[in-house]
Amino acid sequence: MIGYAFEEAWASVRRAGRSAAVSVGTIAIAFVTLGGFLLVSVNVQRVLDRWLESAEVSVYLYDDLSDELRTALELHIRQQEAVAAVEYVSKDRALERFRADFPELLDVTASLGQNPFPAAFEIRLRTGATGDTAVDDLTAGLAGQDGVADVRYDRRWLTRLMGIVSTAQVAAAVIAGVLMLGAAFTVAAVVRLSLHARRDEVDIMQLVGAPFSYIRGPFIVEGLLLGGAGAALALAVIAGVYAAAARWLGPDLAGLAGAGPLQFLGFREGVFMILGGLGVGALAGTVASRSAK
Amino acid sequence: MIETKGLGKIYGRGLYALRDLNLTIDKGEFVFLTGPSGAGKSTLLRLLLLQERPTEGDVIVAGRNLARLTRHEVQAYRRTVGFVFQDFKLITTKTVFENVSFALRVLGMPVEQQRRRTYQVLKWVGLQHRLNSLPEELSGGEQQRVAIARALVNEPHLVLADEPTGNLDPDLSLEIMNLFRDINASGTTVVVATHDRELIKWVGRRVVQLEHGQLAGLPEAPR
Repeated sequence: MIGYAFEEAWASVRRAGRSAAVSVGTIAIAFVTLGGFLLVSVNVQRVLDRWLESAEVSVYLYDDLSDELRTALELHIRQQEAVAAVEYVSKDRALERFRADFPELLDVTASLGQNPFPAAFEIRLRTGATGDTAVDDLTAGLAGQDGVADVRYDRRWLTRLMGIVSTAQVAAAVIAGVLMLGAAFTVAAVVRLSLHARRDEVDIMQLVGAPFSYIRGPFIVEGLLLGGAGAALALAVIAGVYAAAARWLGPDLAGLAGAGPLQFLGFREGVFMILGGLGVGALAGTVASRSAK
Repeated sequence: MIETKGLGKIYGRGLYALRDLNLTIDKGEFVFLTGPSGAGKSTLLRLLLLQERPTEGDVIVAGRNLARLTRHEVQAYRRTVGFVFQDFKLITTKTVFENVSFALRVLGMPVEQQRRRTYQVLKWVGLQHRLNSLPEELSGGEQQRVAIARALVNEPHLVLADEPTGNLDPDLSLEIMNLFRDINASGTTVVVATHDRELIKWVGRRVVQLEHGQLAGLPEAPR
């Protein structure tokens, strides 16, 4: 029965010609939108994850902090669950770094007469801890310690950025959903056309008592084929655009983001798109074939 | 085999195609349904093939009340009935062999069995030399023989034919009627709707006359 359904569906797709091509194209447009959104999303997420992982907690110390208190504070920090490593940056080291990073401002630092930079502990967080409340507990706890002037954690702006990205992802998903709905209607229309073209055959099948699965199967498979083809075409288009972007813009984007080269959709996303195409097509075919009863 | 009780079919705003029809056809009988156009012959066949449901009364075939069958039971019932129409109803894109084997294929019969049975029945109607022809390459009589082969291929208990010779010349009509007689001789119940009185006379079987959706003359006596 499955062989029959595929055989008839393939013949019908070939007969449909241009309308089948329009249908595949419409699905492809919807899935290019979805896939493009996934591609951007995957890469943005990678950058954000990397930034998030490299986010550090800086604990600025008062100048008059004694060595004993500093050692005790360092020990306290190392014992915290969220902490992967701690580095002590003295006032002199902080000044050196500034001079190395901003050589054009050497005159400014020289004119100050004294070193304005505080000593600090730079805390690298363990992987996976950046989203935990353990980090919030850590920063809150350190802020109240003796000798601590200030605690800075540069994750907050990242959290806000991730919120914006999440909202954009939801908006893109809604747009892709609407496009997919439109694509499903197109597939349903094409399947209805082929049902109309084969009306006599369907009537005869009904008269000889063919099971409904036999009557409707080819139309459901036709939708499945159109949907799958549309999604596969979309993947090919996205791969082409990705290859061009990676070639011409890749190094610049990678440098800007600091997250290595651009990454294509993963196996999971690819499978999701193809299955999505097959699913949308089959659903549209099922709805359209309901009149063949 | 077939029994109708107070059978009625109303179209539109109260137009009776059949009215209070009480009819009995025994198993193995050959019956002609006749009468003028609009008498209800085709309507009765459509009800027997469950292309339509009755508005009133019951149609009982082989002990089953057709009015009560579910959609899936309708399909199962149709597998036990062969049908032949005036316009042949062949699939134009399929060959003679495919048109006939199609009825077996959709029932899921193994391919080898399909081939054997299809060849047998096409040989029986004398078309074993036209297996790969398309319907448009056949004469009217040949096309109707393909339709008869398709009706018989799954060995139905009942064959319904609606004006099967309506598009054929007298010689071909006799040829087709001979096939129906042979089908009936093997024990299959045959119901043929026709208005061709010469043909009815020539075949010489029971005649049910319909007029305005009712039996003409006296109601059928209980059998």
